[in-house]
Amino acid sequence: MNNRLISCFSQLRTSKRAALIPFITAGDPSLELTVSIMHTLVTAGADIIELGIPFSDPMADGPVIQRASERALLNGVSLRDVLAIVTDFRRDDQTTPIVLMGYLNPIEIMGYEAFAQSAQTAGVDGVLIVDLPPEEAVDLVNILKKHKLDPIFLLAPTSTTERIQQICHLASGYLYYVSLKGVTGSANLDINAVSKKMLEIRQYTDLPIGVGFGIKDAATVAQVAKISDAVIVGSALVQRIETIATEHLLTELGDFLHTLRIALD
Amino acid sequence: MNELARIRVKICGITRPQDAIAAAQYGIDAIGLVFYDKSPRAVSIEQAKAIIQALPEFITTVGLFVNATTEFVHQVLTQIPLDRLQFHGEETPEYCISFNKPYIKALRMQPDVDVIAYAQRYATANAILLDSYVKNVQGGTGTTFDWQRVPTQCTQSIILAGGLTPENVAQAIQIAHPYAVDVSGGVEATKGIKDIDKIAAFMKGVSMSMTDLLPTKTLQLPDIKGHFGKFGGRFVSETLMQPLEELTLAYERYKDDAEFLAELNDDLHHYVGRPSPLYHAIRWSNLLGGAQIYLKREDLNHTGAHKINAALGQALLAKRMGKTRIIAETGAGQHGVATATVAARLGMSCVVYMGTTDIERQKINVYRMRLLGAEVRGVSSGSKTLKDALNEAMRDWVTQVDDTFYIIGTVAGPHPYPAMVRDFQAVIGREARQQMKTLSGKLPDILIACVGGGSNAIGLFSPFLNDKTVKMFGVEAAGDGLNTGRHAAPLNAGKVGVLHGNRTYLMTDDNGQIIETHSISAGLDYPGVGPEHAYLKDIGRVQYVAVTDQEALEAFHDLTRIEGIIPALESSHALAYCKKIAPTLAKNQTIIVNLSGRGDKDIHTVAKWEGIEI
Repeated sequence: MNNRLISCFSQLRTSKRAALIPFITAGDPSLELTVSIMHTLVTAGADIIELGIPFSDPMADGPVIQRASERALLNGVSLRDVLAIVTDFRRDDQTTPIVLMGYLNPIEIMGYEAFAQSAQTAGVDGVLIVDLPPEEAVDLVNILKKHKLDPIFLLAPTSTTERIQQICHLASGYLYYVSLKGVTGSANLDINAVSKKMLEIRQYTDLPIGVGFGIKDAATVAQVAKISDAVIVGSALVQRIETIATEHLLTELGDFLHTLRIALD
Repeated sequence: MNELARIRVKICGITRPQDAIAAAQYGIDAIGLVFYDKSPRAVSIEQAKAIIQALPEFITTVGLFVNATTEFVHQVLTQIPLDRLQFHGEETPEYCISFNKPYIKALRMQPDVDVIAYAQRYATANAILLDSYVKNVQGGTGTTFDWQRVPTQCTQSIILAGGLTPENVAQAIQIAHPYAVDVSGGVEATKGIKDIDKIAAFMKGVSMSMTDLLPTKTLQLPDIKGHFGKFGGRFVSETLMQPLEELTLAYERYKDDAEFLAELNDDLHHYVGRPSPLYHAIRWSNLLGGAQIYLKREDLNHTGAHKINAALGQALLAKRMGKTRIIAETGAGQHGVATATVAARLGMSCVVYMGTTDIERQKINVYRMRLLGAEVRGVSSGSKTLKDALNEAMRDWVTQVDDTFYIIGTVAGPHPYPAMVRDFQAVIGREARQQMKTLSGKLPDILIACVGGGSNAIGLFSPFLNDKTVKMFGVEAAGDGLNTGRHAAPLNAGKVGVLHGNRTYLMTDDNGQIIETHSISAGLDYPGVGPEHAYLKDIGRVQYVAVTDQEALEAFHDLTRIEGIIPALESSHALAYCKKIAPTLAKNQTIIVNLSGRGDKDIHTVAKWEGIEI
């Protein structure tokens, strides 16, 4: 397991609180602003940052993150640019773990080895590939681990016991539980159903478990934090990046994340 | 070649007596000794002597040379009783025959090489050995070449070499029909050291190739995880993995179920109108002056295209699985119409996703779907075409997976879709095979079908894959031309990547983003292709070519004027390629073109292209 992720979760365990993990798409609204947004999020209380790699066909995302991906692609943002953003971010922040989240094709085209090497050099800590289930992931996971990158996997309400075991065996860093059947930014999660599934998953792993999809506001964050090790907020943030004017963006994003952090504490 | 004749096997690059003995025990016919000191499998004269002494009777020994001096060859011959010489370099025919020994001349299959002409030049050779061409490498390349390039009429025997392995040898023989095969690296543990188990497996592959009863690997594919070689698989988010597994189990259960098949066949007959005719296009054949052209009339199916075969099969499966809601994606609207049709027939609710660009291009089909009771939802993300409609249908499915069945229109998507859609479309090829035998007394020589995602092509090809003599061409959309970048031909000009749940050839840029495609035909306007096609391309069983918008349009007009059949623009691509090759063939040869759909839907597009306002 990666050092930054280990120390992050061990500190959280000591202070007995869940991690706050904001997701943003790299290059949205612009390459230049992404690094500033990341620092702002950390200052406002983010423990880990999930940085989305833009992709032309984001099959598992709802309209909010689809549009973020489209904006980033219009800005010409490539996987190499995303890695450059991480390099930039690391100049001023050596501790906050960064997890790249995206789809397989850009990584497949760059080449697994080349990607893993560049990601390690840039200071990435974990990689979550939405359309790469464990069945197809073994080659990439081995290469990621060789480069001290944690392969983060999704678990879903539809995952059977067998699949949960298989995924827990392959994953490291943390697990990402998808709270509902749907795409990112979907409506309301059912906290009781999530809670029940979390208990089942915990039988098979000691890894921290984060919960994402459908977490929009402070109230939900507070609920989810009670039953999980990490709360992941994506569309609610990205929606603000889409609508808030650039000059107020950093302040308002920081304020929003701060309210979530207070709810979580 | 006589069908009963046994394929001879030569194992080349033997360096140890024990390997020669083991090979002989498995029934090989010849061994090759490499007298070329730059080869990792080179042997000294002493080594060669020891190997030959250890050999049992009736095994031919072949000495391999590369641009050796006359003196060296003589020196070897005076000390070792070689039966044959094999020359791998730029030796002239005069040089080769000067040793008064029967010889084999090797030919490396560069792209433009003419095997027949080469064999004529080396008329004194006993056999011609065909090897893969890799720049600056003489033999032992470990790569295969397109086995379709092996000529059938050659005066000398053909020995097939180049990257043969236990896994591919049966397929290679069935396609190339060589006199003998030559293997080296494919049966080695390390360079020069042979592996007994691999030799055994290789010989098994050779004997398998000689019986028609055993299906080739192609028909057994995909494997349990949905792989066709390195292609296919299941690349979706975790939420969909279990639903896909359930679908696979349901499909496995019903695909051989007598009651299910009876219901399907009854509907195919009475509702779809199958079997579709195989029509001999006599006038067009005569005008082109070559092969006899037969059209598989999928355009005469209910709803006017082949799409309904798979839509019906999947809808009946959905019913058995207790699903009440059907979704589909559509590009040109043909699959959407087919799905809306069967949903109406079965009383199920139906949502069809369609890119807003396509909605604009295909207004009539949109209205047809609405008339049939389907809800057409416009997709305005990405390029607003078929690929985005597929993304959106996947998003719908993941959200309502409990009651919803996703009917995919082509042989792409995650496992089991490529196999399931293929099996439902294979009715095309099964009928065509039977009809052709009845009409002409023999199998066709050539099959041609257009390839977007590739469902009509795989439907036609699949039942013929084991028929060694049947050549197949998949025709992609070259749009404005392959060199313009404005096309939809991933098999001809794409890269291997992952999209829509499977690994396949894709139109993708260097950053891994999917490129917008272009074709005059909306049904071919797709950046990926079914994974089985990717596999058939790589093993050389099917040749994939491309024709431009302009060529397709010309063929569209030809068939309309000459045969009185208005073909879909998709199918016009297959017709355009037929038009190119039919004149090069003999009059007793036969071609089946899959006329996958009718062209009524395209009349506006054709008129617009020609500046006519309707």
